[in-house]
Amino acid sequence: MKSRLKVLRAERDWSQAQLADALDVSRQTVNAIETGKYDPSLPLAFKLAKLFDCSIEDIFTPDQPEEKK
Amino acid sequence: MKTEDQFTPVGEQTKNVIMTGIAGASFGLTYAYGFEFSLAIGLAVGALFGAAIGFRISRKPLKMRYPMALLRRILMAATLLLLTSFGYSYLLDQQISQAQMRWAAVLPLLGWTLLIISIGIAIASLDELQRRIQTEAIAIGFAGTAILVGGYALFQFTGLAEVNVGIVILVMSFTWLVGKLWTLWRYR
Repeated sequence: MKSRLKVLRAERDWSQAQLADALDVSRQTVNAIETGKYDPSLPLAFKLAKLFDCSIEDIFTPDQPEEKK
Repeated sequence: MKTEDQFTPVGEQTKNVIMTGIAGASFGLTYAYGFEFSLAIGLAVGALFGAAIGFRISRKPLKMRYPMALLRRILMAATLLLLTSFGYSYLLDQQISQAQMRWAAVLPLLGWTLLIISIGIAIASLDELQRRIQTEAIAIGFAGTAILVGGYALFQFTGLAEVNVGIVILVMSFTWLVGKLWTLWRYR
């Protein structure tokens, strides 16, 4: 899953530590989500969407489009 | 959005130094008794070493998001485990009856129970990725121990020494550490 988290965070001039504090997770978790190594749970994704005042789809997009049957 | 610099209040520092000092002292005591040298020296060196670690941790806090109190609780349970293990070894060396020995064997189990509970509480306070890392590390530790100990047991008929509990715990700790480092590297 691709994420725009790094861009959104940079736009607000927040550090990974600051974002981690706001989400009540570790900085390692923020870093893993940004680098695409970890997909967050739905509650955490909603938390992110609320924090950035956008929808989950604005932050995360699937790697590949769904195959048509 | 602001984050405060990591700073350990004086009260917390004192608690850290006292707790690590006590843990070190009990480790020194058990070690001295096991290797048959002066208990006083074991206690003193262990306490000093433990307190030094506590002081170091307070001066430069560890990079973790759960409170230091949780780490102190684990240390407290580990100390109790060491002391009950020491008590068990001490009682076994005395002339006690078989029935009393059975009761003595229950002692370390109390320490183990408290240690498991405190580790469980600490894991519950982790975030979702850290919990996944711990789960994967435990799975690797469990499978690794089963393979290594089970494999070794197959060779016992060739004259190798029997596996004892101490070795199993050592192997489990080692494979857990390998698992933890591996998963940390994966999600780095």
